Amino acid sequence: MYDSIINVHDLTVDLGGNPVLRGMELTVSAGEIVAVVGPNGSGKSTLLRCLAGLQPAASGEVRVFGRAPADDAAFWREVALLGDEPAWYPGLTAREHLELVGAVHARARMTVESALEEFALVERADSVPLNLSTGQRQRLALAAALLRPSALLLLDEPERGLDAEFRARLAGLLGEYAAEGGTVVMATHDHGLAARARQVSPSGVVA
Amino acid sequence: MTSGAEGNVRSVRAYVRSRGRAPRGLLDRYVSGFGLAMLLAVLGRPVSTVLTGLAGPVDPARMSAGAALVALALAGFLFAARTAGPVLLSPADASWLLLSPLNRRRLLARTGRVLIMVAVVAGAALGLGLLAVLGAPDQLVWRLLGALVLGVSAAVGGMALAVLGQASQSWQFWLTAAMVALLVLAVVAVSGQARTVLAVAASAPLTTVAASASTAAVVSALLVRRAWASLDRIPTRILLASSTRAGHVADAAVGLDPGALTWIAEENHWRARTLRSRRWPSLPAPLALAWQDWRRLARRPGRLAAMSGAAGLPVVLAQAGAGPAASGAVVLAGALAVAAAGVSGARWDRDNPALSRIVGVGHRPALAARALLPMVLSGAWATLALAGLSVSASLALAGLGAWASVGTAVPGAWSVGTAGLSAFSGGWWLFGPLVAPALAAGALRMAGRGPVDHSMPVIDTPGGAIPTGPLLWAATGADLAVLGCLPAIAALLSPPGALGWFLAAQGVFGALTLVGYAWRRGAGQAT
Repeated sequence: MYDSIINVHDLTVDLGGNPVLRGMELTVSAGEIVAVVGPNGSGKSTLLRCLAGLQPAASGEVRVFGRAPADDAAFWREVALLGDEPAWYPGLTAREHLELVGAVHARARMTVESALEEFALVERADSVPLNLSTGQRQRLALAAALLRPSALLLLDEPERGLDAEFRARLAGLLGEYAAEGGTVVMATHDHGLAARARQVSPSGVVA
Repeated sequence: MTSGAEGNVRSVRAYVRSRGRAPRGLLDRYVSGFGLAMLLAVLGRPVSTVLTGLAGPVDPARMSAGAALVALALAGFLFAARTAGPVLLSPADASWLLLSPLNRRRLLARTGRVLIMVAVVAGAALGLGLLAVLGAPDQLVWRLLGALVLGVSAAVGGMALAVLGQASQSWQFWLTAAMVALLVLAVVAVSGQARTVLAVAASAPLTTVAASASTAAVVSALLVRRAWASLDRIPTRILLASSTRAGHVADAAVGLDPGALTWIAEENHWRARTLRSRRWPSLPAPLALAWQDWRRLARRPGRLAAMSGAAGLPVVLAQAGAGPAASGAVVLAGALAVAAAGVSGARWDRDNPALSRIVGVGHRPALAARALLPMVLSGAWATLALAGLSVSASLALAGLGAWASVGTAVPGAWSVGTAGLSAFSGGWWLFGPLVAPALAAGALRMAGRGPVDHSMPVIDTPGGAIPTGPLLWAATGADLAVLGCLPAIAALLSPPGALGWFLAAQGVFGALTLVGYAWRRGAGQAT
């Protein structure tokens, strides 16, 4: 096994010549929930993209599960990433999106029915995602990410579009995920979600 | 009220113009006029050659197929008009001027004028097509004029019908009825049932042509008048929707990103549909991922029927006089287009891989599983089309045999009409399943291409500048399909006596193309 799930050492990232991350250090152990907090433009999303192998670093080292993250199938079998709203497959309903995720992964964490209930989507299960509200689409994306088995969950502002009640419920769902041994790293502006997590700042100052 | 509102629209437009680009000066007008004169000078000779070639009777064997193509063209024009709107505004006008107290009819007048111009150009082309089908046994100029009036009347009247359809549901019904009638007419024409009617129309006296053209022009004018009156009754939500759609299309066209059009079309279609979830079948992961394309296709039976019906087009073209190479090219291009209709899942994941990362299937197995549907579709379509050509060839050869058995010389026109078909007698349909893997690989390569690369160089040639970015974009996918279908293409270019070796070579080429593509593309990534 790995000593820690994530090891970030002296990470520096420039975007268009502008320094976004400077000498970032981060270590995350299995079962931890980490909230990356900070103002807009502080590099929260960039850090998540580095952890997902989608953003090359100018210098420094990023290791996830003991190796450099790579955008390949083996990596994505362990890692579930939820960033911007995904492009929903045309012609499939909300339920069918979850069915597809469940059918592809042999040991889903929950059934499609329970996911629809947990994420309050039962009544809109037959709608195509584009006809759902922004918050409902975010709940569907979260349901897909949490239905599938994974060891690491990377969430970029998971509270986007969610009402206060569901944000509280999401905190509970993430807690259950971590209790099963999963690790969560999320960029967030939500105080409730951040309060239940170890808070780190991309600038190196713990909030 | 009207004159005041008109004044308002004019002043608003004048204000917008004054803040936009500089007003057209003398030099701009000179450049436009010079360009138009050059166009006329370049096109003058070929057009006059084509028109002179229309004089005289037409091959009767080609008349039916030609009439079917003209009917299909008009139906396609009406369909395109209805899909586009046709009444729409620029996104900026839709946002700022539509939701205002300005006179609606005056606001939409400019669009109305553009629609009429588009319809006149399309109608002129239709009229020329009509004359090419029916021929001009005498009085070429008058018959040309009559055909042009008929074509323009049909297109302008059809456009007016589409505008009326935007304003009211009952006119929408008549528009649909007109399109269905044209499709029925095409089927009847291609079946040969309308041969007598077409022969009578081809040899109609000038007075009859003049009466038909006048009637069509009057009906068209009445429809245009009603459509003009209905402009201010088109519901705002419909105008907003068509204007937004046009804005997306314009963005895609300006940015030369035709892939965006697929997104728009798909999203608009599925937003308007009511679906019922069905259980996902228990399949291995790659096939479970690819199943979405099968389900999507099953949910569009109309598209499936249209694709099946289009398999008859190569036969129509061959009957209209196309040679074996042209008919074969249409078969391969059609089968590639049909294959491309079955790879939208791959296209979606290429454009935005977020969902595919959540799904987490390896690229190579996903690609292999996703090749199945385009293979089935293109194989079935090509087999149908080639079988249709073979059956028509057999019937044509039987017809030639009948002429010979009664001891009569075969009419030249008949033999010309069947020449394109006779090359397809035999087991050509066997190429259908054998080209399918190569076409599936081509369709998947098309689905995997990104937006047009505008940084590619522009090559200056004596015929004009050629931007290589759009050229490469258009060739991506088709190149692989052509490569994988080389034996079939060679057979089409010079039809051999025995197809055996070509079929065997095609089987090997097709399989190697697909396997090679999946192997090369599949290195490691998620879908």
